[in-house]
Amino acid sequence: MTALFAGTTLLELGGGAAGPVATRYFADHGATVIRVESRRRPDFLRILRMTPTTKGGVDGSEHFAVLNANKLSVALDLSKPEGVGVARRLALWADAVAENFAPGAMAKWGLDYASLVKARPDLVMISTCLNGQTGPERHYPGFGGQGSALAGFNHLTGWPDREPVGPYGTITDSLSPRFAALLLASALLHRARTGEGQHIDLSQVEAGIVCLTESMLAWTANGEVLGRMGNRSRHAAPHGVFRAADRDGRERWIAIAVHDDADWARLVDALGRPAWATAPALATAAGRLAAVDAIETALEAWTRARDAEATAALLQAAGVDAAPVADLGDLHDDPQLAHRRHFRPVEHPVLGRHPVETHAIRFSDMEPEIARPAPRLGEHTEHVLRDLYGMDGEEFARLSAAGVFA
Amino acid sequence: MKVEPPAGDPARRRGPFWGGVEDPERSLLWLAMNTSKRGITLDVARPRGRALFLDLAARADVVLESDPPGAMEARGLGWDVLAARNPRLVLCSLTPFGRRGPHAERRGSDLTVVAASGNLFCTGDPDRAPVRCSLPVSHYHGGIEAAVGVAFALLARERSGRGQHVDVALQEAMVMPNVGTAAMAKMTGFRGQRTGAAIRLGESVGREIWPCKDGFVTFALRGGPARVPGLVAMVAYMHEHGMASAELRARDWTAHNANLLTQAETDALQREFGAFFATKTMAELYEAACARNLMLAPTYTAREIARSAQLAAREFFVEVETPGGGRLRYPGAFARGSSPIGIRRPAPRLGEHTAEVLGEVGVDAAALASLRAEGIV
Repeated sequence: MTALFAGTTLLELGGGAAGPVATRYFADHGATVIRVESRRRPDFLRILRMTPTTKGGVDGSEHFAVLNANKLSVALDLSKPEGVGVARRLALWADAVAENFAPGAMAKWGLDYASLVKARPDLVMISTCLNGQTGPERHYPGFGGQGSALAGFNHLTGWPDREPVGPYGTITDSLSPRFAALLLASALLHRARTGEGQHIDLSQVEAGIVCLTESMLAWTANGEVLGRMGNRSRHAAPHGVFRAADRDGRERWIAIAVHDDADWARLVDALGRPAWATAPALATAAGRLAAVDAIETALEAWTRARDAEATAALLQAAGVDAAPVADLGDLHDDPQLAHRRHFRPVEHPVLGRHPVETHAIRFSDMEPEIARPAPRLGEHTEHVLRDLYGMDGEEFARLSAAGVFA
Repeated sequence: MKVEPPAGDPARRRGPFWGGVEDPERSLLWLAMNTSKRGITLDVARPRGRALFLDLAARADVVLESDPPGAMEARGLGWDVLAARNPRLVLCSLTPFGRRGPHAERRGSDLTVVAASGNLFCTGDPDRAPVRCSLPVSHYHGGIEAAVGVAFALLARERSGRGQHVDVALQEAMVMPNVGTAAMAKMTGFRGQRTGAAIRLGESVGREIWPCKDGFVTFALRGGPARVPGLVAMVAYMHEHGMASAELRARDWTAHNANLLTQAETDALQREFGAFFATKTMAELYEAACARNLMLAPTYTAREIARSAQLAAREFFVEVETPGGGRLRYPGAFARGSSPIGIRRPAPRLGEHTAEVLGEVGVDAAALASLRAEGIV
């Protein structure tokens, strides 16, 4: 079967994670995703950890490479009118446009939806930024760390007796690409059915807050501010993360979640029915929640001397919800992720062979594919403009000489 | 359309409850997750219930299920059966680890799938256990991932005329929130590290979340073209309050590369910024951030989110009239487009639409009465 998005072209302007991760869903199913980039102001992931000795310079960023496989790169200097002109022609030619600049940037260039739609009435375009395209705080220039704070995730992550730590990986940078992919796919579906295009305004903060609706209702309905609970649950105990035996000099942990009284009975059996666990008071959730400190201490005394993987396997065999805590390296040895081929190798011209992630969806009739590594900056300028878009050679040479492709 | 067992979805028994009243119609979790749906009860484990489910699936575009792998098959409602009845159907199965593979049969929940994703290991303080977000983020990630999968399958159906089975794994969905660092581990050897309210820079660990007068703010001393103007503006702001030292004002921020700082240098810089933040409230600092393009944000709780001027200007919050009487204020649309997005109806009461929906597949009043008598609806 032909890839779902074979023949579909998406134009991507912007950088970081929130925009670029969204288009990967389409790229992994055959879309031609074209990044418009510039050496004058490279994607911050290309330079985030760059030092004067970084091999390959802007093309040597591991971070950029793992997020941008399967895409083409066109270098355009948007500080030159000819550069903007080329970007505009690409935007009107592409099937959809995705951008995640701060609001106003696209309008400054005349590349905003209102300008483009006049020439292409069925344009599908998504703009995503922290606070959305309207409102008094729209120009606020944050990254994902700020989005996570404004949406309420930072406050909810950490220990009740300490300052918030925030979730690793700035959650709005990973939630919003999913929303963006959903919205783009839905808009393409809508256009396929009705012929109508549209502009989508995705505020990463708003999308994050929608996910935390439960917490918002606790406030609007009950006046309660939900807070940090460590790993505990309001409803069940034990529900936590416990130290296991070290392995290869690394600290290891195991997560154990008892959801109800039947789970507890299974856990007690798996523990070998020690005296502390068979106390009748602990047979009910209320009793366990009242004694949660003592249960956690006793449970950790049991896990501390044991291997995390073996303990998780033992507990799972007994029907108890448990998992070893994987570090980032462990993921590459995880048999389930391997089964799903979550990581797939590419050959990068600077970085060599390295893994790239695909999304978490498997289809009965289609398979995600990583066909190429992340592009070097401007690697495909000529290919895209000459072969795909069809710019004539004379014009290409003229623009090239004028330094537009920088 | 939500299909619940006759006893109701387990979420209905989850607190906190609206007004503290334990009632299946007042669970805030239920009310949060089920707006814009109709609701029916149906015992699909019994033959008449199963037959009705098949009638409903025959008319549906999409069936979404989140039972353990094999549960739908065990009821005679597996993909083969559903697709035979309705070749255009998209079935989406959302499970902790995926439908097949060595861990497919394992139990999983938010805590354990986040544990298995690498994200938990990297979150928290270095002197304590890894820690999760206190609300189940894997459910949001996995739910939206499933929606993407369904949208892609519907697009594929436009061309092929056929539906397909979509298999979404929560564990795998939670690997991406490491935002590339999971794949990078193979190249850099960096396996993750808990750094509290901070992140690892090149040589040192730098704060991301800082105490202020009445809470916390997010701010980082990282460099790069996108951040330098904000750092310069922050120092100017501090100087207006007499809280930027001569050394800080003289610093060349355009040459600032946080990757090259030693821990002692990072600490010295952070002391001054920290001392300044301690004199200001979250509101004062965020107002300055918006006015001066400072990359600083307050660590909002639901209370501050509900009062946000930005969200008010965008009319983000909506009042929803609930069937039990009373209005609830909800976060509204997750995005804006020319197609309508947002809450269309309140979460359904238990069985609210059973008669209406089953009527659409030919169940008349007499049949409904007998289904009720048998406890199937």
